[in-house]
Order: sequence, then structure tokens, then C-alpha cells
Amino acid sequence: MATKQLVAKVWIEDGCIVCDACETSAPTVFQVTDDSCVIRPEALNAEFTKPLTDSIEEAAEECPVDVIKFETVAGEAPDAAPEAAKEAAEPAPASAPAAKAATDKSPVPVAKAAEKSPKVPVAVDPDPSIQALLRAATARGGAAAISRSDEHATAALQSLGKKPASELPPDGRQAKVMAATTGRGKAGVTRRGVLAGSACGVGWLSVAGTGAVSGLAFQRFMMPNVSEEEDPRVRVGPLEVFASMAPGEVNEVTKPVGFWIIRVEDRLSALNIICTHLGCIPSWLPNDRKFKCPCHGSGFRPNGINFEGPAPRPLERFRISVLDGIVVVDRSKKFQWEKGDWDNPECFIEV
Amino acid sequence: MTEMLSAGSSLLAADDSNAIKDAINALCAPHWFFILSCASITVFMVGYRRFTKPGFALFAVVGFTVFYALSALDSDFRSIIAKPDNVPITMMIYLVGFFVWLSFRQAAINDQNTEMGRPLSEAGSDDKVLVWPDLVYIELIALVLCMVFLTVWSVVLRAPLEQPANPSVIPNPSKAPWYFLGLQEMLVYFDPWIAGVLLPGLVIVGLIAVPFIDKNPRGNGYYTLRERPFAIGVFMFGFVILWVVLIVFGTFLRGPNWNFFGPYEFWDPHRPAALLNINLAEIFWVQWLGRGIPMEGWGPLPTFMVREAPGIVLLSFYFFVVPAILRYTIFRKLGAQMGFVRYALMSQLFLWMVFVPIKMVLRWTLNFKYFVAITEYFLNF
Repeated sequence: MATKQLVAKVWIEDGCIVCDACETSAPTVFQVTDDSCVIRPEALNAEFTKPLTDSIEEAAEECPVDVIKFETVAGEAPDAAPEAAKEAAEPAPASAPAAKAATDKSPVPVAKAAEKSPKVPVAVDPDPSIQALLRAATARGGAAAISRSDEHATAALQSLGKKPASELPPDGRQAKVMAATTGRGKAGVTRRGVLAGSACGVGWLSVAGTGAVSGLAFQRFMMPNVSEEEDPRVRVGPLEVFASMAPGEVNEVTKPVGFWIIRVEDRLSALNIICTHLGCIPSWLPNDRKFKCPCHGSGFRPNGINFEGPAPRPLERFRISVLDGIVVVDRSKKFQWEKGDWDNPECFIEV
Repeated sequence: MTEMLSAGSSLLAADDSNAIKDAINALCAPHWFFILSCASITVFMVGYRRFTKPGFALFAVVGFTVFYALSALDSDFRSIIAKPDNVPITMMIYLVGFFVWLSFRQAAINDQNTEMGRPLSEAGSDDKVLVWPDLVYIELIALVLCMVFLTVWSVVLRAPLEQPANPSVIPNPSKAPWYFLGLQEMLVYFDPWIAGVLLPGLVIVGLIAVPFIDKNPRGNGYYTLRERPFAIGVFMFGFVILWVVLIVFGTFLRGPNWNFFGPYEFWDPHRPAALLNINLAEIFWVQWLGRGIPMEGWGPLPTFMVREAPGIVLLSFYFFVVPAILRYTIFRKLGAQMGFVRYALMSQLFLWMVFVPIKMVLRWTLNFKYFVAITEYFLNF
């Protein structure tokens, strides 16, 4: 019988980076959770880990941060193990169905191992909750006992998590991870949470900052660099010229500067040439006595009231006044019929 | 045949008016043109197996081309189609006609195959090609041909450029680019923000929503009309009628001052056209009730709510009660399949699509302006 150093206890120290390497090497021993790596409950048993010595050592070597630690005891090489241990040795290649066979038999080797190596700090009388967990694990293919979320943790695992650390297998780290696993969601401030939260905050703040800066830049872009507006006031001509217009007449001389001079009864007004529908410029049709827009067919009476086509409201009028006998039109002030502005004295000249 | 052609050419080429030209001009009155377009699409879709036969299609193409060519002898019509701006319209008419025919032809073949229990014409066909060399060669050839086509076009036809913009000299009519003539036509009947923002937005939203609304897998990957008459009918109405036909409207029928002219009519900017528009409020309060338009509010209701009450009630009925009625009549089966949310979305989009031509026909026939005209807040429907 060849003797060999066999792994009796395996644990994980602080500093796991959740890389999944150990679970790949020894899936029946390690389970990588969301934020750490735990030893599966069944692997807290020395008789379970002994046959897996090779894969555990391999995992410990492969661990990039060297946090996998194990204790070894002198033991028989697997090939000469008793019948039960031999069966237990079969899962060494770490296949799930083989592990199932091993865990099914586990109560027996545990008792034997306790006789043989009393130093091994494993509970002599297996905890019933661990046994229940092992059965659950084997029933579900060996890999699903510890789910990554609280809801899916089995009742056995949850009861395990509620035990004080002294009743748990002697691995403080393990107890902490267990507690964190069972109490997930209620766990307090973690380093990972703080880092992730602050990274998230910085990210969103920079998005908001970029947005704000580009918004300001865009607003600046919408403003003209130079605002050179011509004087909105136009000196149109002597009053006598327009006073001689007949009622209902339209004077087109001022169309290039943006308005018609119209006479409605005994009032002279300046009518804006911009159509109130979509801003085209209507034509004055003297035969039909109407303004007619060439874009969408809006029609306006000689006084500017809309009567056909889509224009929703009459043409606007500008402020008009007489200064030293000269008619002056101020295009910066508009008068709208629907607001009752046309009777405003600034909107017409009485002739 | 030759005699018919010469007779036709002499009729259409004569610049003075005659019975045939007058009849065609009369049929091109907007409401007749629109109704005839809808009717011909419907007839085509009902009898698609007969009308897509190659012999009939050839007859239609030759007949239309002869008619178009003879029409070009008329100086007014020629001045429209010979304008460089309008050359794409002629291409569009032929291309849309061809592709509509092609898809319906394949649908007719497939539907017949399905009825006889034969496999679809697409079944088992593997139309995958290699990128290199097949696709790249085709793309190269297409690129060269497009280049040649555009070069020849730009050399032969003058770019329709005009003198610098001048508020005193306005092009009359002022037309949008040919592909936007449908939108410009809609602007005649609606407020700018409805025709220019809401309706195009609904078109885009509706197209985005199509995969959500229409989960029916029939017709995926093969042509058919028999299995999808409603979906294809809606597409034909929304695209061919409300987009292509409106472009044809804007090109051939809209003349100076944005008045309607027949295709053989002289575009006289001084032709009188009385288009005194009236709102629903005027029809209801003045013509039907014989009293004036209400000028005061009623209790807490502001004036415009009282004034526009008939239009608000009518539109609410149209958009909220009509879908419910349709749900238990015409769309009974469809509504049960779709569930509430999808049916509500589909019915709203559908009713908006139908709302546009309803309003247009009312404008042409009754000089109807707005159902609801709240000019105080620029809300005119």
C-alpha cells in the first residue's frame, strides 16, 4: 500500500477574484458565486476531498491569486483504498455523475475516516442539515445545491447559514461566505459595491456633464455671431401718394420690403406679405381682387381676411404712422385680427 | 388600328378643346380622379389573376404609352411632362406600375399553385449568390450604368435653376421637390403642424409598429394576395394612393395659385376659382340650426368649446366609438386575434390613414375646411 499526502481540508482565503478557474478544475469542490468562491458543503468532508487530491492541488496551483489553501494528511493511495473509499475515489476525474456515486456513500467513509485520522477537524457526527444538502445536491446533479440567488437556496443550506459559526465546520471564511450566501440582498456595504457604485456614479456624471456642455455649445451655435438686422422702420413715401388710393386698392410698391399698403374704407394699413399658413408669399390678383398663395392655395381678401385654402388666420398688419408728412411702417410690431388688434390706432392711418 | 391612332392623335393634338379632352379634363377633377384611382386599384386587386396575365399587362403598357404619347401632342400637357423637374414623374409612373404588376403577378401564380396543391414558386429555390464575384460584379455594373444614366441626364436636361430669390417675383405655382408633392398636397387640407409633423410622424411610427401590429407569419418569404388581402390592401391604399397618386396630383393637376387644372387645360393664373371654405361650426350653427355662431362660453366651457362642440363630438365619435363598432363588426376576427392594445394601435393608425382622404374629398366636394377650428390655439383638424 502506497502512502501519499491526501487533502483532508480545503479552504479559501480572502482575495478571491472570482475567476472560475478552480471550479473548472474541481467542480465538485469549488463553487464560484457572484462575488466569491465557496467550498461546496459536501467537500467539507475529508473523505470527500481525499480522492480529489489531484484536482484540488491542480486548482490551488492554477489559482491566479493563490488563495486556495489545503491541509494534507498521510493516507493510502486511492488504488489501495477500502472498498467504500475506492468507490469514493472514482469521482477523481471530477465528473458529476461520479460525484453523485461518491456522495451517496459518503456517510460510511466519514465514520471510517474519523477512526483512522482523528486529527482531521471534521464533525464526527455529520450535521443532518449537511446530509440533507448532500442529498439535495446529488438529486439535482451535484451542481445545483448552492444556487447563486437566495430564493433558490435549499432549506438545508439556509438552516446552515443560520447556525452560529462555532457549530459550523472549522473554516471561518467558509462561515462568512455561507452567511453572505444565505443572507444575500441584505448584505451590508461591500468593497465591490462601493467601487461599482462610485464607478457608476462617475460614469453617469460624466455623461450628464458631456450632455450639458454640448447642450450649451449647441445653444451658442444657434445664436448668430453677428446680428445685423436692418432697421425695421421703413419710410415709404409722402402721405399724399397713398391718401389718393381708392378704398379697397392695394399698393404693391413696398412688396420687396415685406408689406403691401392697403386702403380699407378710409384707413391706410401695412399688410404683411407672409402667408399665415406656412410662410410663402402670396400674389395680389387684381382681377380676382384677392391675395392668392402659390404654395397651398390660401386666399385672402383685399383687407387680409382669409377666406379660402388652408390659411388658419388673416394676414398680419404692421405698425404705421405719419412723420413729417412721410408714411413710416415699423415692421417690428405686428397686429393680428384674431386678437382684435386691427382697431389699434397704431395699426392704421385715417385719411 | 392606324386609323384609330390617327383619329386619336388628331383629337388630342388639336390645341382647341374638344369632346374627348373635355371628358378627360372632367374626369381629372380631384374627387373623380381620386375615386377612380381607388376604384381601379380595388378592381385590380379583386381580379388580379386576370389582370396580371402578361397579355393584359402588355396591353395596358402599350395602351398607356400610346395615350401618354398622344397626350404629349397637346401643348399644355407637353409643357408639364417636358419640364425637367417632372421627368422623374414619368419614370415613377412606369416603375410603380411595373413593380405592382410584378408582385401581383407572382402572388397570382403562387395563389394558384396553393389552390392546386402544388408547391410555391419560391419553394426550394436557393437565391443565395456568392459575394465575390457575383454580387460585386452586379454592383459594379449597376454603378457604371447609374453613372452613365445620371451623366446623360445631366447633359441632356437643363437643371431647373431660376434667378435669385425675390419676394416680388414668386414662382406660381411654387412646388416642392417631386417626391414631397404628396406632403404638399396634404398641407392644403390640414394645419401645418398636422400635415407637416403629426401625419408624417404617424406614418413613421406606424411603419415602425408594423412588426408589433402584424404578427401574421403568412406571406413571409413568398408572394401571396389570397392570404393577406387586408394587409396588402392597406399598403396599396397608403402607398400607391396616398403617396404616389398625390404626387401625380401635384404634378399634373395643380396649376397657378395652387388651383386644380385638367391635364389639357391652359395654366391661366387669372382663371377665377371660387373656393369659399366653411368650417363644420358654420354648417352646424348657421346652416342647420339657423342661428349665429356662438360667441360666448357656456358655464365653465370657453367659447371655442361651445363653438366647436359639433366637430369635437364628431371627431371623438370617429376616433373612439368607431374603433369599438369596427371591433364587433368588420374587424371581429382580427380584433379577437390581436388583443386590446394591438387592436387599439392598429385601429387608430388605420382611422388616421382614412381620415386624410375623407377630409380631402369633403374639401373638393363641399369646400369643407375644418371639423374643429380652434384658431385661438392653432388646433385645426
